[in-house]
Parts: sequence; structure tokens; C-alpha cells
Amino acid sequence: MAEDLVLDTAIRDWVLIPLSVVMVLIGVLRHIVSKLLRSSQTPDIKIVREGQVMLRARNLRAAANFIPSKAFRARKLYYCNEENGLLFVPKGQATNPQAQMFSDPNMAMDMMKKNLSMIIPQTLTFAWVNFFFSGFVAAKIPFPLTQRFRSMLQNGIDLSTVDVSYVSSRSWYFLNLFGLRGLFSLILGEENAVDDTQRMMQMGGGFGFDPSKGLSVEKDNLDITQHDWALPNFEHHAEDVLKRVIS
Amino acid sequence: MAGHSGSGSSEKKSSNGVNELLTFNAENMQSNMKTIYYSRTFLSIIGGVVAGILGFTGLKGFIFYVLLMAFTSVGLIAKAKFSIHTYFDSWNRVLIDGFLGGLMSFVLFWTFAYDIAHIF
Repeated sequence: MAEDLVLDTAIRDWVLIPLSVVMVLIGVLRHIVSKLLRSSQTPDIKIVREGQVMLRARNLRAAANFIPSKAFRARKLYYCNEENGLLFVPKGQATNPQAQMFSDPNMAMDMMKKNLSMIIPQTLTFAWVNFFFSGFVAAKIPFPLTQRFRSMLQNGIDLSTVDVSYVSSRSWYFLNLFGLRGLFSLILGEENAVDDTQRMMQMGGGFGFDPSKGLSVEKDNLDITQHDWALPNFEHHAEDVLKRVIS
Repeated sequence: MAGHSGSGSSEKKSSNGVNELLTFNAENMQSNMKTIYYSRTFLSIIGGVVAGILGFTGLKGFIFYVLLMAFTSVGLIAKAKFSIHTYFDSWNRVLIDGFLGGLMSFVLFWTFAYDIAHIF
């Protein structure tokens, strides 16, 4: 085992620091570019309406206990009845989001733009790092790791005798890629392009969210909501408070 | 009629003391959670730099991180004036959330500062 490698300070000045700075700057650049590319499409009126109905139903469910039970029942009927309730989706009328997406080129276009703005810089940076900085031992992590991590941390160095805690430049790139997410959320705000990776992953699971399914779920939820008017309790509560104030 | 049945059930309810009503605003809690996330991320980055400059290695650094997060939790609780349930729905929100999210940033900045200050 090589105990301590002596790393040239030039590596710090010309590999470690530039690499990190470039990663941050590219993140900022991506954020700005994706902001520019984001087209403000006019959303489909049907989807908006369904979303609003769902929101209203959810609000009703959350605030159910603050209205009299008669009022609650009337509202429940308004949302849930089987003929023309707002949340009632007739069978066979449910739109297939997949088909809808293919028929609407705008949506696919937007998706592609987002994808491109994510993949292109990533590929370019990786190629750049590979080209200029391949084979450097760029850093040393300050804690010991097992041999398992060698392929992860010493990507690009084919030496089995180097201590695992030394990090090659390519792996430093990957570490930056994952670790800088927190920094980006601080300097770019919540809605940054870097978080798109996460959003993509979420969308990959439930690709094309189905609004009519959401409606029927909301309907079921509303159906089983138990009503328990809270206001009489509030009177008791107020009585208690007043008594405590007086005494 | 409806009012009657409502008051009848409340009579039953009020007998077992002040009931717990779910009276909080989901949006406000979302914003509180965001604040927690930001403060944790910020502190883990700063803490990583500090740990690197001080030259912590191995377990010491991770203990430093845990202590830092505990300190953050105490700070947040103090900020919430020690009444967590006014601002959050459970203690886990303050104590645990964001713990692992900050770890990656912490390790990155720890490594970075440590390398710059001690290795080269």
C-alpha cells in the first residue's frame, strides 16, 4: 500500500478548483438556458377545469368540519352525485393521456427541449472532463472506505495499490454532480433546472398523470369523509377559555 | 334537524376534553418545510467547509455532522418558540427531515476544503 501520495499543488490549482468552479457555473448556465427555452404554453381548458375541481373538492374535505352538516351534505352531493356531479367521470369518456400527448406536438416538443437542455450539457461536461483531466488523482476524501468503492471513486485510474480514499478527477466530477444539488437549490431558488433530474424520475413512474383517475380518487375520498361539525365544540372551548379568564 | 344531530355528537366529543382539531394550513407548512430544508442545506455546506479546514478525518467528521444537525434542530425548535405543533405536524419534521439530503453536500464540501487546506 502506498501510504501517502504527494499531490502536486498544480493539480489543485489546475484540476480540482477549475473542475468544481466549472461545475457550478455550468449548473447556473443550464438554469438560465432552460428558463429561456421554457415556452409558456396555454394549458388545455379541460385539464385546468378538472384540476380546479379537484382542488375545490380537496379544500372541502379539509374544511369539512367547519360547515354545518346540512351544508356539507349539499356540497358532497354537488360533487359526487352519479348523474352530473363534478367529480363523476362517465365510463369510457376518460381521456387517455398517452394518446393525447402524441396528438399534441407542443407537449412532446416541450419534453424534448427539457431533455436536451439536461443531456447536452451533461455529455459535454463529461467529455470535457475526460479529455482534459483523465487520469489525475485529484482529491482525497477524509474518511476511509472499503475496496468496494474503488470503482466508484477511482474511475479512470487503473491502479489497485492506491488507497481507496484517493479520488480520480472523473469521479470528482460525479461527486460534484450529486453533491452540488444542495448548493444549486440555495443559489438558484426552488425551481431550478438541476432539479429536473428528480422530476424526470418521478414522471418516469407515472408518465402522463391521468386527471380523470385523480377525479375518481378524489370522489372516493369525499364519499368516505365523515362529517363532524366542529363549531359546537368551539363554543365549549370558548366557554372554557372565558371561565379561565374570569376566574 | 341537521344542527341537532351535529350538537348531539359534539356533546359526546366535548366530554373527553379539548379535542384535537386539524386546523393548519398545508401551504404554510410547506413553506416551513422549505425553510427547514434551506437552513439544513446551508448549514451542511458551511459545516463541510469548517470541518475540512479544521482537518477532521474519518469518524470525527461524521460526528461533527451529526452534532451540527442536532444543533440545527435545536435552533429550529427555538425559532418555533418550543411549540412544534403550531408550525409542524410532527417532531420528525424538525428532527429528521433533510438529514440525509444535506449529507452529500457536507461530504463534498468537506472533501473540497480538506484537500485544499491539508492534502496539497
